Amino acid sequence: MKRLLASTLLPLALLWPGLWFAPVAVDAKGDDFGAVVKVVEEFYGVKHKGIPFLAKAGIKTVTTVARLSGGSRKRLAEAGSVKVAFFEDQEFTPKGGVASFRANLKATLLGRWLPFIQVLSLNDAAQTYVFLRDAGPKYTVLVVTIEKNDAAVVQVNLAPQTLAELMQNPNEMGKAITDDATKTDDQE
Amino acid sequence: MRTLFKTMKLASLALLLGLSVTTTTRAQNARIDMGPLDHLGAQASEAVDVNIDERLMQITAKFLSGKEPDEVKIKELINGLKGIYVKSFEFENDGGYSQADVDSIRSQLRNPVWSKILNISSKREGSIEVYVMSNAAQVGGLVVLATDPKELTVVNIVGPVDLEKLSQLEGQFGVPDLGIEITKPKPKN
Repeated sequence: MKRLLASTLLPLALLWPGLWFAPVAVDAKGDDFGAVVKVVEEFYGVKHKGIPFLAKAGIKTVTTVARLSGGSRKRLAEAGSVKVAFFEDQEFTPKGGVASFRANLKATLLGRWLPFIQVLSLNDAAQTYVFLRDAGPKYTVLVVTIEKNDAAVVQVNLAPQTLAELMQNPNEMGKAITDDATKTDDQE
Repeated sequence: MRTLFKTMKLASLALLLGLSVTTTTRAQNARIDMGPLDHLGAQASEAVDVNIDERLMQITAKFLSGKEPDEVKIKELINGLKGIYVKSFEFENDGGYSQADVDSIRSQLRNPVWSKILNISSKREGSIEVYVMSNAAQVGGLVVLATDPKELTVVNIVGPVDLEKLSQLEGQFGVPDLGIEITKPKPKN
């Protein structure tokens, strides 16, 4: 009976596209932002701070939140679409090398996000990764920035017009989005 | 036995059909595989990897306002492009990449559909090679391979490219400034 079941179900399992796509569909609904934050935490042995933690920093937070929710200045991100995980004053020495971190990141987002740009600078010990995904009429951008002592994971929804403008200089895109989401007005 | 023969015949036909479809698709696709260079990212002092696929190119072309003169130029440049892919590596010292790394790109361009443009030079030091894929009367894609002892850059543009305007793409969409110049052939007198 077991053999019969195996011989019947195995080819079906291999042939039925629904079974191939099912795990992807489940993951797509999951929290890729959270998964990426976890990759950073586990790889570098660090802990992130979310915006609620920054709230304790008083005035800085007020401006930050104002900026994130679409303050008076022109914002890149759509109001209310921003997710930020901030890592401050921690050690980002890659234990398994940059290549290993990149592989972990790509494996986490594989198939659901387009790896749009990656900039690695050994001299500055800096890494920037930008991934893109369709979000209906808008686009979701996930930016991972790692520096020597700081890092940030930012996810934002961008209007196609904003994306088109940023696309002209992709090397600066990650920085522009991260700065927009994490820096306060008085820091610029 | 007859059924087995029939099945094998069908399978062979399907395989042949599959192969011919794959070959045709590859022949028309100007996108090259730059994956063999990925390992250089870990050794390079600076590494840039840009992937702009057809969908992203369309967004850019569609949503650039086209009111500013610069945006009009860019819209013209990227009109019909199906992708821009860039890998660029800078090294602290000479020998950061090997001949095998360069050959992993050149070997793909030995296909007869690719031809090397000879009247190309660069204001920068090092060597620059530009290859175009021609489909009938149109350029279907392009590869720029720029090398110097401390730097390796590969730019792959998929889709119809106006060679005269190639230099205008430098500094845009992740294409580095390569100082490309197309020298016009001297008149025979």
